[in-house]
Amino acid sequence: MPELDRRDFLKQATRALLSISGLLGLGGLARFFYFQTEPPSQSVFDLGPATAYAVGTRTLLPDVPAVLIHNENGFSALSLVCTHLGCTVESEASELVCPCHGSLFDEQGNVVRGPASKPLPTLQIETTAEGNLQLFLT
Amino acid sequence: MRPNFFHHLHPPTIPAQQSRWRYTLGAGGTAVFLLFVLAITGMLEMFYYTPTPEQAALSVQTISYHVPLGGLVRNTHYWSAQLLMIVMAAHLIRVVMTGAYRSPRRFNYLLGLVLFVAVVLLNFTGYILRWDQGIQWALVVGTNLLKTIPVAGDALYVMLIGGSQPGPATLIRFYAWHIFGLGLLVVILTGWHIFRVRRDGGIAVPPPRLREDDARITRFELVQREVLAMILITAILFILAIFFPAPIDAPIEQLTTMANDASAPWFFLWVQQMLKWGDPFVWGIVVPLVVMLILALIPYVLPQAQDAELGRWFPKSNRLARLVLIGISLLVIVLTLLALLPGS
Repeated sequence: MPELDRRDFLKQATRALLSISGLLGLGGLARFFYFQTEPPSQSVFDLGPATAYAVGTRTLLPDVPAVLIHNENGFSALSLVCTHLGCTVESEASELVCPCHGSLFDEQGNVVRGPASKPLPTLQIETTAEGNLQLFLT
Repeated sequence: MRPNFFHHLHPPTIPAQQSRWRYTLGAGGTAVFLLFVLAITGMLEMFYYTPTPEQAALSVQTISYHVPLGGLVRNTHYWSAQLLMIVMAAHLIRVVMTGAYRSPRRFNYLLGLVLFVAVVLLNFTGYILRWDQGIQWALVVGTNLLKTIPVAGDALYVMLIGGSQPGPATLIRFYAWHIFGLGLLVVILTGWHIFRVRRDGGIAVPPPRLREDDARITRFELVQREVLAMILITAILFILAIFFPAPIDAPIEQLTTMANDASAPWFFLWVQQMLKWGDPFVWGIVVPLVVMLILALIPYVLPQAQDAELGRWFPKSNRLARLVLIGISLLVIVLTLLALLPGS
């Protein structure tokens, strides 16, 4: 077993203690910054009576942001948050284009051109007992 | 008189050849002066700026349009920040192109690089503080980039913006980072950086026996030149501030609605251009970090300038380092121009 004199031992012990304190401090700092003062953002949107949206229409819901589609198969909703880095895509002719990095999606949300690699997600729509539409973000 | 920090930074004499504008570009000193202007104008802005999502853009408009001389203060702050980026880049280029970063100045070179990154972050946080429709997508994209980091990304996102999406907590955090967190870092590092200049032997010159020209200028002449530079910079800042006001748009109403402007701040246009190519983690985080790493390694892995070639431009012995820097500069410039092309 190699000899470790008192001076080296104390030096290494000091280093170890300082490193542990530093790591504990960083951990504490991370916990401090991780606290969230705001309530989680809205995840359910009330869209009013379903009868307000005629068959064959596409309605822009800027607050979500999403587009509500009503066709023969019923109601569906397409998220307008670009799957690349989260900008809101804009309708351009029959396509959806992201202003930030130019991703292009078709009407169904499929990727036509990158950089986005995932299609725009479909959002869940439910009709309440009173006949109101509700949109769920998750 | 007892020597003080001023005397530490201004030795009794310094070599004449290396204190010419055409050698130093005056870039380091100008950067310090701009930081000073930024601190003063920034402190004045604090008397009116309100860091809440409803009030931020309106309070910026109040400073710009109602407060007497408020527009001058804000525009000077804005232009000092933009000039500082350019001057710091010029300083970095000068140091590499003259080979001055070599040992014993390697550590100070790293301090300078950290300062550069800190100033870029200060510029970005300051830009976000406008909280108007012009910065909306830069905020969304910049913070979402963090989420793309494997494993730690989501946690880092919450730690930076203080919630599940940008909101009041985000603005106050960016405010705290801009004014104190990053500001304090820059003040400490700047003090250290300029302290090290003298500590490492002042401006880089060949050793005495290899010197062609032994002429020196006095402390007094140095101060004269510094004052001249400060007057010139002040004039440029005032002209820019008076004729080219800093941008401000309508407040952000809802973070999801469309805004007109989707372009990044000018110093991040090159990153925005790369993000158009695909995977955001690779192009938005890995590539910029690799660029910084290459810059940081220049004094440690590439051939350095030889003694006799110190203190002048383009020493033959560090050609490789110069080529690397030219490559990186061209990359950033070309990408920025591509991003500025209409219809890109």
